[in-house]
Amino acid sequence: MALLKVKFDQKKRVKLAQGLWLMNWLSVLAGVVIFSLGLFLKIELRKRSEVMNNSESHFVPNSLIGVGVLSCVFNSLAGKICYDALDPAKYAKWKPWLKSYLAVCVLFNIVLLLVALCCFLLRGSLESTLAHGLKNGMKYYRDTDTPGRCFMKKTIDMLQIEFKCCGNNGFRDWFEIQWISNRYLDFSSKEVKDRIKSNVDGRYLVDGVPFSCCNPSSPRPCIQYQLTNNSAHYSYDHQTEELNLWVHGCRAALLGYYSSLMNSMGAFTLLVWLFEVTITVGLRYLHTALEGVSNPEDPECESEGWLLEKSVPETWKAFLESLKKLGKSNQVDAQGADAGQAPEAG
Amino acid sequence: MAPVLPLVLPLQPRIRLAQGLWLLSWLLALAGGLTLLCSGHLLVQLWHLGTFLAPSCPFAALPQVALAAGAVALGTGLVGAGASRASLDAAQYPPWRGVLGPLLVASTAGGGGLLVLALGLALALPGSLDIGLEEGLATALAHYKDTEVPGHCHAKRLLDELQLRYHCCGRHGYKDWFGIQWVSSRYLDPNDQDVVDRIQSNVEGLYLIDGVPFSCCNPHSPRPCLQSQLSDPHAHPLFDPRQPNLNLWDQGCHGVLLGQLQGLASTLGSMLAVTFVLQTLVLLGLRYLQTALEGLGGVINGEGETQGYLFPSGLKGMLKTAWLKGGVAHRPAPEEAPSLEAPPKEGLPEA
Repeated sequence: MALLKVKFDQKKRVKLAQGLWLMNWLSVLAGVVIFSLGLFLKIELRKRSEVMNNSESHFVPNSLIGVGVLSCVFNSLAGKICYDALDPAKYAKWKPWLKSYLAVCVLFNIVLLLVALCCFLLRGSLESTLAHGLKNGMKYYRDTDTPGRCFMKKTIDMLQIEFKCCGNNGFRDWFEIQWISNRYLDFSSKEVKDRIKSNVDGRYLVDGVPFSCCNPSSPRPCIQYQLTNNSAHYSYDHQTEELNLWVHGCRAALLGYYSSLMNSMGAFTLLVWLFEVTITVGLRYLHTALEGVSNPEDPECESEGWLLEKSVPETWKAFLESLKKLGKSNQVDAQGADAGQAPEAG
Repeated sequence: MAPVLPLVLPLQPRIRLAQGLWLLSWLLALAGGLTLLCSGHLLVQLWHLGTFLAPSCPFAALPQVALAAGAVALGTGLVGAGASRASLDAAQYPPWRGVLGPLLVASTAGGGGLLVLALGLALALPGSLDIGLEEGLATALAHYKDTEVPGHCHAKRLLDELQLRYHCCGRHGYKDWFGIQWVSSRYLDPNDQDVVDRIQSNVEGLYLIDGVPFSCCNPHSPRPCLQSQLSDPHAHPLFDPRQPNLNLWDQGCHGVLLGQLQGLASTLGSMLAVTFVLQTLVLLGLRYLQTALEGLGGVINGEGETQGYLFPSGLKGMLKTAWLKGGVAHRPAPEEAPSLEAPPKEGLPEA
């Protein structure tokens, strides 16, 4: 009892082949789009690899690029097959390969689904990478003289301006680290000496933030220093002041940005996966319909197309048996060789 | 009356003309499309920078006219491609016969006029940008502190975002900020002696400081940004005047914006020039093709030679014909005398 049988006459077969040809070329286009999406994500991750400690995982964009290339290759091949399917002479040369090709297509569809799911699920690792990277970035903010880290200040400043964020979780992160280089501190000043003596590590900690944390929407000129001291500024209450600095942390801002990128890429890949499944099903019907043409001399005859020749449990049984036979045939050969050698020896 | 600029067109040159015209028409359509995109881009830029351009500056007219001219050029290109394709196929040409004449007139008048106008504007207007930007930026700087005055409350945010995005400070340099009051009086402590001194030190009673807003800060500087007491060399420790000053952006916003907008305008101008040349060629080619095919009575594949021309008679003849058409007198229309330059026709074309 075949699975999902459909009757095909000549016209229907031709229409199926033409429709599949068109869908395959659309799918090639979709493969190109997935490739470029993967490339775009890779470039975006590379751009900010400094704040991710250069240890971010490129698994998602690499897999998108690979899947995009594979999709182009497989679908153009399938398009060629569908084009040739209308001509019995050309189709004959593809016939022996079609079954294995369909198996490869099914595998490819599974891989595509996994990649689409990965796009949604891998934001957790990105979050921890960002947390570590930003913490280090802020630590090295003042090291503008150290080779290898001298660009960290510029990177963090431009990041805070572009993503409208401040610090790791909020602007108070800047209070806990020394972000002003010792080179620009006047050690003869009493204030500086007091601050350095006031903590165990001898760091110059201020309740101030860099200028890149300033919010241009604030009605008053930006207050950057002595943020917790209400009396230092006229008409200022640090508990109620909201517009002065950016309130979001850069970790949340970057994570949100990359999450939305990966979510939209994952959604698009899922759509392409559905499309590919349709194409594979159509190709299977075309394959079985053309196999079922009983009289090769009469192309007008009707044939039947199906997904599986027998129902699902029977097909599974047949598959297991063929595997067992493969194992048994090896054993039989070995026994036959032994039996052959024994009479000779005997 | 002699036809103006006649050209003999036997079958093969006619076909070549049609094919070349088809190619040129697609090029014209491409050029028209690119002009559309370019002027659209310029319009979007102007919309973003609207607050920094004085309202009296007529610069915005340029992208609007260029948009219209680009659209007409695109349309002309598509029409030309369709007509030249149809002229090679006897079955497709008859519906084009009636429309081609009026379309040519409309394209020449409308498209040509718009293109010439746009080219003129592209040459004349960028000069007025200078003054427009000066006034616009001066107004924006003056209203920086007016974050509670309706109508100007966005000046601070827009100017800060401009300085952050375009990497510039003030109109021509950071010292512009020293000459205006950019701190709102709402946040000045009237009991502070320093504030009172500063206000009393000038005629207009403005609170002037030698400091700049945070958006002038340059992130490339190795030290945290110095925004205040910029005229006092002893105010900040270890300030080395010999090192290049990376602390603030050194360009003025006027120069940056002017360069950018003038660059866009010159790109647009060159696109318009290319479109103009292509449109002239396409319209001329279409006219010759149309008149040559009219000479054959609309039959495409006629083997005979015909003449293509720009106008059936000179200017005087055209005016006369127009007068006669409108006039009451019944006089026979002046007959077309064969041109002295054309070689003798080799027999009539067969139907």
